[in-house]
Amino acid sequence: MIYLPIAEMPVSVVLVLLVSGAVGFVSGLVGVGGGFIMTPALMFLGIPAPVAVATGASQIAATSFSGIMTQTRRKAVDWRMGLLLSTGGVAGSASGVWLFERLLRLGQLDLIISLLYLLLLAGVGLLMLAEGLAVMRGRALPTVVILKRPIRTIAHRLPFRMRFPRSGLYISVIPPLVLGFVIGALAAIMGIGGGFILIPAMIYLLRMPTNVVVGTSLFQVLIVSSLVVILQSTATQTVDLVLAAILMLGGVIGAQFGARMGAGLRGEQIRALLGILLVAASLKFLWDVTIPPRELYVLGGGLW
Amino acid sequence: MVRRLLIALALLALAGPAGAQETDGGIELPAAVAEERITVSSDYRGSYITVFGVNPDRRARGEIVVVVRGPNESVTVMRKQRVFGLLMNGDPVRFSEAPSFFAVLSNAELSTITTPQLIHRYQLDPAASAQLETAVPDADPSAYRAALVRLRHAQGLYQSYTAPPTLEDRSGLTIYPGGLFRAVVRLPANAPITEYIADAYVFRDGRLISSQRIPIGFARVGIEGFIHTMATSASFFYGVFVVLFALGAGWLAAFLFRRA
Repeated sequence: MIYLPIAEMPVSVVLVLLVSGAVGFVSGLVGVGGGFIMTPALMFLGIPAPVAVATGASQIAATSFSGIMTQTRRKAVDWRMGLLLSTGGVAGSASGVWLFERLLRLGQLDLIISLLYLLLLAGVGLLMLAEGLAVMRGRALPTVVILKRPIRTIAHRLPFRMRFPRSGLYISVIPPLVLGFVIGALAAIMGIGGGFILIPAMIYLLRMPTNVVVGTSLFQVLIVSSLVVILQSTATQTVDLVLAAILMLGGVIGAQFGARMGAGLRGEQIRALLGILLVAASLKFLWDVTIPPRELYVLGGGLW
Repeated sequence: MVRRLLIALALLALAGPAGAQETDGGIELPAAVAEERITVSSDYRGSYITVFGVNPDRRARGEIVVVVRGPNESVTVMRKQRVFGLLMNGDPVRFSEAPSFFAVLSNAELSTITTPQLIHRYQLDPAASAQLETAVPDADPSAYRAALVRLRHAQGLYQSYTAPPTLEDRSGLTIYPGGLFRAVVRLPANAPITEYIADAYVFRDGRLISSQRIPIGFARVGIEGFIHTMATSASFFYGVFVVLFALGAGWLAAFLFRRA
């Protein structure tokens, strides 16, 4: 047991290491960032939601920085696009932190977080399950890209177009800015990195080549999560360094094992299993917002 | 800084009833706490507050009441309501003053020791200390007041004991022959780390005859105290430091992964 100085509660180091290791393992196995599993897992452990969200962001910063080091060596980062996405992300996360504080004061933060997680986990879970099952039945090729990319999207028609030599694009700056803004706001409110929304949007909406997508999204995630840490630390003082250190340790070790194990396993089965897991977790949030509990009264925001 | 000010204001607010009781309780009540400063380090898992005292009456007549309070703070109580099939927190009722921690220990039921008026005046139960701020929507403030006490009780922040401690539970009031008494309160790990006040009262025939007040503080020590000080007094630089720490951890992970 160790006492967390900011969360002001004792936690079992072994338990947090196991949970963050498991989340890291899954993220290494499937190749997702894992913030959207880590933050609800911390809340299930009893960490107050504001601390879980703000501290989770620091772990995401660590993971994305370690990822970006690898991607830079492969020259797989479109810095110009990354800066544009980050500009939107900076504005988005600032708005997100502001909204977070407002909702906390209104006492509706727990409802909004539960609803967002319900939609997110159920949506991603069902997609993963469907994709995994389709591949297992042999209806689709065992590759990630199933949808056909349209030749021209809205990004090519809007004004303020700009050249992105690394991606070989000439598109409007508005979609990357808006996309960055939305991901930044979600990151601040939910404690996620947002890569699993950002990557498909970059492929299908911006039509970026797949080899630069991962590195560029990591760059945006790094900038936004670092900013969320500093903003939350200044505005709500909910960043717990001790908890962050345990999460980073568990997450890094878990991700290493996950990545090695993932190389020897069939991807579609893992995806289907993770899909089931996420849908099950979303049911918990559905339960929270629809089934009346025995105690109808709540204190403060309900999460503190 | 703001937090210090709030604590000071809360202590001033608490000093109200204390000033009144000195005129009532004429005799000095000798009392002390086992630890005037509770240390919080990385192995902190809650604590116990122990109050000792001696009934000033020569024949040890009268009833003993010991109250341990955390500073008052405002709190909102809401009721879950169904809106479009979803449960939303509605009908907020705000209490401008409610004790953040409250434990009352006595050797008999409070209602048999003194009158409801004096229980209210000396704030001997948490419901008596909670001040309503806004009007209650469905005109039943007692339900909200009861909910506040029930919820805080479930969190271990409001406690009451009328029996001496048992082998399983160290909390309770023990009265020894000769007028010596000892009150033990379990301070759970989720209790706020602030300034507490322990009050010991002696009642006889329903009237207060003696009382004593002892402040109890906390000291965050070691790395625990250092992190907390940084996070609250230099929150921006603390945030920057956490980010640099994260980048360092990420760099180390990438470095080790490449070698492996």
